[in-house]
Amino acid sequence: MTSRTVITLSGVAKSFGAVKALTGVDLALQSGECLGLVGHNGAGKSTLMNVLAGTLAPDGGRLMIDGTLLDRSYSVFRAHALGVRCVFQELSLCGNLTVAENTRVFHPHLRGFGWKKRSAALIGAMLDDIFPGHGIAPGTPVSELSIAQRQMVEIARAFTVTDTPLRFVILDEPTSSLDASRAGQLLSFVRRQVAAGIGVILISHMLHEILETADRVVIMRDGRVVAVDAASAYDREGLVVAMGGLAHHQAQAREARAANGAEIRVRAERGSAFTARAGEIVGLGGLAAHGQTDLLLSVFRAAQRRTAGVSVSGTVAMVAGDRQRDGVFPLWSIKQNIGVRSLKAARRGLLIDPDRENRLAEEWRTRIGIRAPDLDLGILSLSGGNQQKALFARALGSDAQIILMDDPMRGVDVQTKREVYRLIRDEADRGRTFLWYTTEMEELYECDRVYVFRNGAISADLGQGQLTEERILQASF
Amino acid sequence: MTANALPSRNALFSRNALLSRNALRAALPAVTLLLLLGTIFWIQPRAMTPFGINLMLNLAVPIVLATMAQLFVMTVNDLDLSIGGFVGLSACIGATWLNQTPLLGVAALAACILAYAGLGALIHLRRLPSIVVTLGMSFVWLGLAVILLPTPGGAAPGWLKSLMAFKPPYLPFPILASIVIALLVHVGLMRTSYGAILRGFGGNPQAMRRSGWSSLRATMTMYALAGLFGVLSGLALLGISTSADANIALRYTLLSIAGAILGGCEFTGGRVSPVGAVLGALTLALAGSALTFLRISPDWQVGAQGAILIAVLALRAFVVRKED
Amino acid sequence: MMLKALATSAVALMIAAGPALADTADKRIALSNNYAGNTWRQTMLQSWEKVAKDAVAKGIVAEATAFTTAENQVTEQAAQIQNMILQGYDAIVVDAASPTALNGSVKAACDAGIVVVSFDGIVTEPCAYRVQVDFKELGRKQVEYLATRLPKGGNLLEIRGLAGSSIDEDIHAGILQGIEKHPQFKIVAAVNGDWTQTVAQRAVAGVLPSLPAIDAIVTQGGDGTGAAEAFRIAGRPTPIIILGNRQDELAWWKQQNAANGYETFSATIAPGIATLAFWVAQQVLDGKEFPKDIVAPYLTVSKADLDTVLAATQPGGVANVEYSQADAQKIQAAK
Repeated sequence: MTSRTVITLSGVAKSFGAVKALTGVDLALQSGECLGLVGHNGAGKSTLMNVLAGTLAPDGGRLMIDGTLLDRSYSVFRAHALGVRCVFQELSLCGNLTVAENTRVFHPHLRGFGWKKRSAALIGAMLDDIFPGHGIAPGTPVSELSIAQRQMVEIARAFTVTDTPLRFVILDEPTSSLDASRAGQLLSFVRRQVAAGIGVILISHMLHEILETADRVVIMRDGRVVAVDAASAYDREGLVVAMGGLAHHQAQAREARAANGAEIRVRAERGSAFTARAGEIVGLGGLAAHGQTDLLLSVFRAAQRRTAGVSVSGTVAMVAGDRQRDGVFPLWSIKQNIGVRSLKAARRGLLIDPDRENRLAEEWRTRIGIRAPDLDLGILSLSGGNQQKALFARALGSDAQIILMDDPMRGVDVQTKREVYRLIRDEADRGRTFLWYTTEMEELYECDRVYVFRNGAISADLGQGQLTEERILQASF
Repeated sequence: MTANALPSRNALFSRNALLSRNALRAALPAVTLLLLLGTIFWIQPRAMTPFGINLMLNLAVPIVLATMAQLFVMTVNDLDLSIGGFVGLSACIGATWLNQTPLLGVAALAACILAYAGLGALIHLRRLPSIVVTLGMSFVWLGLAVILLPTPGGAAPGWLKSLMAFKPPYLPFPILASIVIALLVHVGLMRTSYGAILRGFGGNPQAMRRSGWSSLRATMTMYALAGLFGVLSGLALLGISTSADANIALRYTLLSIAGAILGGCEFTGGRVSPVGAVLGALTLALAGSALTFLRISPDWQVGAQGAILIAVLALRAFVVRKED
Repeated sequence: MMLKALATSAVALMIAAGPALADTADKRIALSNNYAGNTWRQTMLQSWEKVAKDAVAKGIVAEATAFTTAENQVTEQAAQIQNMILQGYDAIVVDAASPTALNGSVKAACDAGIVVVSFDGIVTEPCAYRVQVDFKELGRKQVEYLATRLPKGGNLLEIRGLAGSSIDEDIHAGILQGIEKHPQFKIVAAVNGDWTQTVAQRAVAGVLPSLPAIDAIVTQGGDGTGAAEAFRIAGRPTPIIILGNRQDELAWWKQQNAANGYETFSATIAPGIATLAFWVAQQVLDGKEFPKDIVAPYLTVSKADLDTVLAATQPGGVANVEYSQADAQKIQAAK
């Protein structure tokens, strides 16, 4: 199938108050092509996609589909009618509805007698097509699915077709909650769709996904498109450089840290022994949802009261993975969000001392580089990456000796990640212990020791010297 | 490779567990009601006749209707603290205008429903907390009812009295009415395609808006439905008591919330169960009878009703937590 | 007892209070009461308890239990009455939360063959009996008493009860009737005292500066000492204040009387009217016929009774009288 230009954006601009999210974007999107879109958090990718999906009206510029200029009446319904769909970064399913009912929400014309059955068949077939062996029944309420399963439903739903044709699908960080094998299934499905003539925009921080899947790559920075080229023109380093980040030299030899003699802070049993010492960064690897979060939670509990099978000496703090659900207090300011774990230290008498709270927040703003004009602003005024930094500041600013991290870097840009890695190393050198569950391979290289999990048990215990991608994968499957 | 088989078997396994948890959760209101009925029949065999069931449950019909009204509002994550006053106003309109000048009465009741829809629009558009708005409205409804009927009195229209005194063969009327109400709301809210949309607004309003659904329309629909069922509740109450009083239904505000919660609904997240809520309302209506038959002093009865509520909720929390 | 019960309906025949007929020995009577939060209701429940216990002990009835709803809500009392029907009571005595809203339940009880007797808070359902004091008569009587004390008439201050209640309307209408008969009296001001001393004091103090000399105050009970206190603080002479049998009112009367020979009139409905309703129910169960509307005597306390009544009344209470089976029989005979 030949590609032809379907959507043309010219000079599209969008501001939120003083923040310019998009400053004149020109872009042509073609059918039968997978377009990779990369850029830091805050580069404007999500805003651009919202404009395309009809959920945000741009302040300026033009949007043309099939040569027709679309005015301000462009809406979600219009986008659907024109065959443009979007899978948003934050999951947008209704937890109280079943998988089939969520599919119906997407299709206004899926109604009348027997709609439930038709809807179930529609989504079931699509799930089977994209994720064989998914194990999701269409009658299950979404709230009872795991976060990975929800993401699978969300993606499958975007590809279902009823009365309007499907022409363009925007996938915003679609693999953030999926393990490697599910991500692989999705990406090969994307290739099949592209071959069938559908246009796909893929946004991902997993650069290898972009390089393997996309035909063309668009790089955004500061609300503008800075480069467009064939994917084959780039390699990993090239992309990172083009995004304005620093080239990443992974797995460089670090001096072995003399953690062996230090005090053991966490001891647990998961098939085989699990230990974490003072000043040690311990990685928890393996496929998503194989017992890593479970271990973190039981360590967290054990710090407060005696728990069978886990012993913890030291105070703990947790950096949540699902920041919308477990992490931020959406109504609170940035300062309050940082300070909430350290209220005891910020107290004077029975009251919170605003000076101490301010000092704590200011100190961590500089140390961790939270980009905010004012710490008294609401936490939701920050971009996703900066919200995550605030959560790190909350944990690191506290008196906790053990920091638990539940895959906290999901959907965070490379630059932020790099800064946080450095911080973690510094803090570990000062004697803090990190338990770090991550789904990203390169983060495991930041650890002193990696436990790979499979089906809730430890399948490998790898020291710094033994760590290779191959070994981790072998232990994972 | 074994890796593919393992996760899917795991998923299947946990799905079975989930199914049983859902079944338990759904069965809880029914089990509570049956236990209560068993207790009543055991202490007071006289209650186990159609006449007895009629007597014990006929006041439950308006409670069931008010609980449904509350359920609609709870579906969109709001709470209606004015339903008791509103039911009282409906009863007062029924006992005066509807009886003397039926056309005016019907128009007034229709206006009440529209006012409820307008309330929903106000709450939605101005982003006001529903608790505050409805708390204020409860005094408005009560005031209007007092203006309409300063001293208790009025008379129910004859057709309404005979409707509520209707004695169908085989099944006592309150049970028949409860079944009809439960089925109607269940089909409307849980089975129809627009019902799924309405519930979706309770689950994730932002996602619904992104899919292009009007949340104003959904909120107004839900409030209008609440108004409709509030009016029906007032008329049913009027039909039973034959005359009205502005204060007649003030208890219904808390009863309706408690009934919905007892029936497995949640305050947020759009998790509702019409059938459960009907069972919950019946349970609350019967709890008074059971406690009277047990010869528990009325001073303790309200407390005992509260204790039943807490016990059931604790049991539900236990069922849910056990799964984790 | 030197208490004198003034029966407004003339008592024509005296029936010897012989031993009770045993026909009702297996009958069960329930009291459905909507509220127990003031002294009048507490006294009423105590009277019921006393008379009912005695009747059960003597084998006149099998059971006579009192039930009070916890929340003073109409629907709650309706459910309570329906439960009583199911429990198989033969008669239900009701002090109702609403004159009309219980009619459905009362009708259901009547249809089940149950005798329903309402008192104090009565119900309008025709199948039920109503035992009530003639409040109009009580209002008229106040003016008539004043006419004997002040033959030349004078300025009256009226303290009314809870606005909108039927009792308030009735007493007020009675007072107007009395004034029609004795046109030398003139109401110069009216305030709402809500049958509560503190409310009455505040209301009277509010209008007092604008008033001419007041010769007497007509009241509804529970408001007498409040009015007296307002006059005392304003430094005005104490007029004749009609009282309503509250303990504090009677105590105030006694103290004034000792100081300056103060004389007045005190009357109201006795909480013991519940016991009259009880006996009416028992007599109906016994097969006697009663009119549906029964006018009970109200209780008057005279100067001569003052010490005895005060001694028998708890502080914060109301002067009370309990009725006997004979009283009910008298009413029946007078029909």
